[in-house]
Amino acid sequence: MMKKICRFLSPLLIAALVLGSLPVAAAPAPAGGMITTQDALSAERAQSDRERIHAVLARDDVRDQLVAQGVDPAEVEARVAALSDAEAAQMAERLDQMPAGASVVGALFAVFVILLVTDILGLTNVFPFTR
Amino acid sequence: MIDCLERQPTSDRNARPAGVLALVLMLLMLLMLAGCASAPRLDDTTRAAVAPRVLLDDVPFHGQRDYQCGPASLAMALQHDGVETDVDSLIPQVFTPGREGSVQPEMLATVRRQGRIPFVIEGRLDALLTEIDAGHPVVVMQNLSLPAWPVWHYAVAIGYDLEAREMILHSGMEAQRVESFRPFDATWARSDRWAFVALSPGELPATISPQAALQAIGDFEGVRGAEAALPAWEALSSRFPDHAMAHFALGNARHTAADLEGAISAFRDAVAADASLAPAWLNLGLALESAEHRAEALEALERAAALPGRWQERSREALERVRKE
Repeated sequence: MMKKICRFLSPLLIAALVLGSLPVAAAPAPAGGMITTQDALSAERAQSDRERIHAVLARDDVRDQLVAQGVDPAEVEARVAALSDAEAAQMAERLDQMPAGASVVGALFAVFVILLVTDILGLTNVFPFTR
Repeated sequence: MIDCLERQPTSDRNARPAGVLALVLMLLMLLMLAGCASAPRLDDTTRAAVAPRVLLDDVPFHGQRDYQCGPASLAMALQHDGVETDVDSLIPQVFTPGREGSVQPEMLATVRRQGRIPFVIEGRLDALLTEIDAGHPVVVMQNLSLPAWPVWHYAVAIGYDLEAREMILHSGMEAQRVESFRPFDATWARSDRWAFVALSPGELPATISPQAALQAIGDFEGVRGAEAALPAWEALSSRFPDHAMAHFALGNARHTAADLEGAISAFRDAVAADASLAPAWLNLGLALESAEHRAEALEALERAAALPGRWQERSREALERVRKE
């Protein structure tokens, strides 16, 4: 039963997704037909249309993720707008695992001891009292 | 320690975790010592080119509050470059509560929102010191801890002393914190030596490659518009006069700013630097057409249409259209 439904639904879904992404692929040329710097740069990097569609979708994704991570919804729009395409794609993929500068240690005792030793050896710099 | 372990009765369950921990600890030590304990080296050319001791003492200091080294570091770098901002207004722009920190792309994005261009510099101590020597405070990302329990941290590098092999940083709660090259480089290396400078459009980092600069200014232009980026393109094309894309980008920005003659001259510089840059021929042709130099426009469009590649179709269409007019 499920298989039948899937077999019926899949082509429809594929068609809908393809159609949905078409307007993005066929972005209108700028007035006067000049090639923009951004277009020329992305062509230089051999960025395909598929990647550019991906970049547009990535921004929506980042928007949702930032709201989920507690960012003020009124701020989210401006924050996403200031990202480059590559940065947006990177954040959409792995915001939850990205290094986030914070510098507070939630230390277990064992970790504390190891880090204390590595600090003294000059390999780490967690504790201000070791130089 | 292994001797101690053997003297414990085997039925004692508490001894095992302690022993395992000790072993793990020793293994870790060995790995660390073998892996990354070498002291960072500077190129002789850098050593000769930069001042032996630099301290940018005009960089303001803001002590971070909980988790907020990102906004604090940004405030220091931006204020130094004349932006009127403060930590409190930067927090909602860059801090992500769910991650209890600030991520790298948003650090760069926030610089753009403040009207400055973020240039990620090459991840080498040489580049870092050269930028400081040029008067640019550098925001660096460090992992103060080990890779397994990362403590990510942003700080602002504001000085160094080659003789003493020390960095000077505004870091955390401490202004002008002194860190020896070795621990500094070990903690910096864990972020793949990520570092950036925030500069006004028109200023360029001392160490940047033309490709990296093109990308940084192009990203800034995408957010702030061509007119805001115009001085940066001017600076880039005079720094790298042989780089065709820099002239091309300058031509586009001038065209957006309604400087048609300036645009034509920049596109001409672009094709002079690289006669195979099809977009520059096409844009040159279209700009000449707007300036009503029909014969020259046709000439440029023919050059564009003759070049194979992604833009050939568009160039041919433009050529056809101008021919018919």
